[in-house]
Amino acid sequence: MVNVENLNVKFGENHVIHDVNFIVNQGEIIGLFGISGAGKTTIVRVLTCQIEKKHWTGNVKVTDLSPAKKTNHSLILTNIGYVPQLELLNLYFDLSPIDNVEVFTSTYGKNKKEAIKIAKSLFKILDLPEDTWNKRVKHMSGGEKKRLSMAIGLIHRPSVLFLDEPTTGVDASKRYDILTYLKKLNQTLNTTMFIITHDLESALICDKAAILREGKLLEFDTPQKLISSLPSKGLVARFTVEHLNEKLIDYIKKFSAIKTLLRVGNEEIEVLMDDFEENLPKLIQYMIDNNIKINSMSKDFASFRRYFQIRIQEEEEKEKKFKDSEGD
Amino acid sequence: MYLGGLVRKEFGRIRSNKRTLLLLFVIPIILIVVFGLTTGVGITKLFTSAIITCDDMPTYDDFPNNSSKYDDTFISIMQYNTSSWDLYRYYNATNSEEYDNAYHNCYNFLKNGDIHIIIILPANFSESVENKISPVLIYYIDGSDLAAITAIEVAIQEPIALFRAETDMIANFTMMVPYLEFDVPFWESAILNYAIPIILPIIILGTTINLTSLSIVAEGPLPRMLVTPTAKREIILSKLIANSVIMMLQSTEIFIMISFFGLYSLGSLFYFFLVLLMIGFCGICIGLFISTLSPTEQSANQMYLIMFIMIILFSGSVLPLNADLQGVQIFINLLPLSNAVPLITDITLKGLFPNLENLFWLNLSSLIYIILAYIIYMFKKLEV
Repeated sequence: MVNVENLNVKFGENHVIHDVNFIVNQGEIIGLFGISGAGKTTIVRVLTCQIEKKHWTGNVKVTDLSPAKKTNHSLILTNIGYVPQLELLNLYFDLSPIDNVEVFTSTYGKNKKEAIKIAKSLFKILDLPEDTWNKRVKHMSGGEKKRLSMAIGLIHRPSVLFLDEPTTGVDASKRYDILTYLKKLNQTLNTTMFIITHDLESALICDKAAILREGKLLEFDTPQKLISSLPSKGLVARFTVEHLNEKLIDYIKKFSAIKTLLRVGNEEIEVLMDDFEENLPKLIQYMIDNNIKINSMSKDFASFRRYFQIRIQEEEEKEKKFKDSEGD
Repeated sequence: MYLGGLVRKEFGRIRSNKRTLLLLFVIPIILIVVFGLTTGVGITKLFTSAIITCDDMPTYDDFPNNSSKYDDTFISIMQYNTSSWDLYRYYNATNSEEYDNAYHNCYNFLKNGDIHIIIILPANFSESVENKISPVLIYYIDGSDLAAITAIEVAIQEPIALFRAETDMIANFTMMVPYLEFDVPFWESAILNYAIPIILPIIILGTTINLTSLSIVAEGPLPRMLVTPTAKREIILSKLIANSVIMMLQSTEIFIMISFFGLYSLGSLFYFFLVLLMIGFCGICIGLFISTLSPTEQSANQMYLIMFIMIILFSGSVLPLNADLQGVQIFINLLPLSNAVPLITDITLKGLFPNLENLFWLNLSSLIYIILAYIIYMFKKLEV
């Protein structure tokens, strides 16, 4: 559905995307994760024909068409949908949802009646109350606007839907609702989805996660596989340590089996080790022997958030070492 | 204590807004320079005249001699000595037939706007001067411009004063009440009809520029349209078409309302309506130009204000302009009001066919503004 091979994007001397490769199949949900400036939006802008060919190289195909050819743009843009981060950029607040559907249908040259029929079925999937369909969008709640925005992105039945930060600005309880709706749409319509996001919880619904840092694709795989690649298949021990400070952390880190130690709270640490089951009792004993008071302890699998944190940290350390060696 | 910090913050905020600074300090200088170039450089010839002298005709008044000595002096003063007058042409009428022909020509000059006044020197002009009797001055003024009538009546005192000084004349001139040509007849609504040529274009331009100047910059989902098969040119074109239809409805409404309150027009109402549409279309093109050029709503509002001030200031209706420099004249011609006012005046008060030069400049300016809007929008970086 979407093929990206050796994608490089340059704006003058500024090389923003470096040799990115990935393949996305029909119906998959892809999460593009990374901190600001990682290059998530730039990649999507290449895929959505928003960046001129002179700025990028590589073999890119979206719905089997290359954005490199200007003559393909119209077809690609017909085959894809886009849901911007802010509803203000996607909806006419002074019009009703149905009127909005009509406006955007006309931009795709689709039949109005058919589009309204599709829109109504989408509104039902997204649980948009029927009494809001003909009222002005400005009177809708934030969550309703968000769902309407998603529906607008799908009215022309695109093969691929790009969503920019779909959970941003939504409170924690609604965030899961949005993700659930996205999964529901994906399963019902079999639409391939790209989710650009800072929200690592979105990985819950992603078939594959792409982790980007400074324009480089660090990982591209299923979140489960990525987590499993951690020591002991991602098993972590969480400790609550009394009077936790940097000195104590350095002390704990000296335990040889520890691969990664993360401070995850004021008095909380998470530890990843090789041979987890064998080394965990030894670690506990080591801490007791060294008068480190453990208030509580639990064992779990790492979340995607933790994986992301570890992976980015690894990369930063690698870069630091490289810079230090260059300095020497 | 807090006030000092707040004042510093305000200065910092204003300083960081380059467009506001430009508006405050650079634009007035540009306006004054252009204004200076169009009004204050060199001798300003405000009005143009044509003179018909009948001095060579015999006079049957009770004078000892028949003379025609002083009409040439008056004509010469009008031609070379005054600061506010230009002499377009003069005729020496020695009989009534020559007078009729001369008057006919001068009337056409007046109608076409080549001159502002026809001055008639009567048959007893020189004899009156020689015999220290107040000579009579008869004149016809273009009455289509109400403000100009008073100005001309004041300005005519200059050649009279120079003539009296030149001839050591003690007696003053007897000024006849001027004959007004192309004025609004007394039975029509004078204020309304004198105001129409300036007020109507201002209303139409003001509202159409206002209608469109925010139409692109303030439409949030517009950049998102570019992630659909919609092309930028289609967006501009759709704005142009939709706003033009609205403008046509508005112009029709204005036309009907003006007719209802007593529109006086010697010329074709169809041409009048057509000119209103052209003015409105120009306003839409200017509005779209502002909207594509402005990065924010605030800067669009600022540009609208500046543009509107320029349009009114350099229309030639607020103050008479006399641009010697070719570039400045082109600049004035590209402002719609400088063409709209004479077009409407010509049709309503003079019954003329719309001046082709004014029509050309009005439509050329529309074309330039819309092409500029299109080019700017094509190159504008829009990101969703």
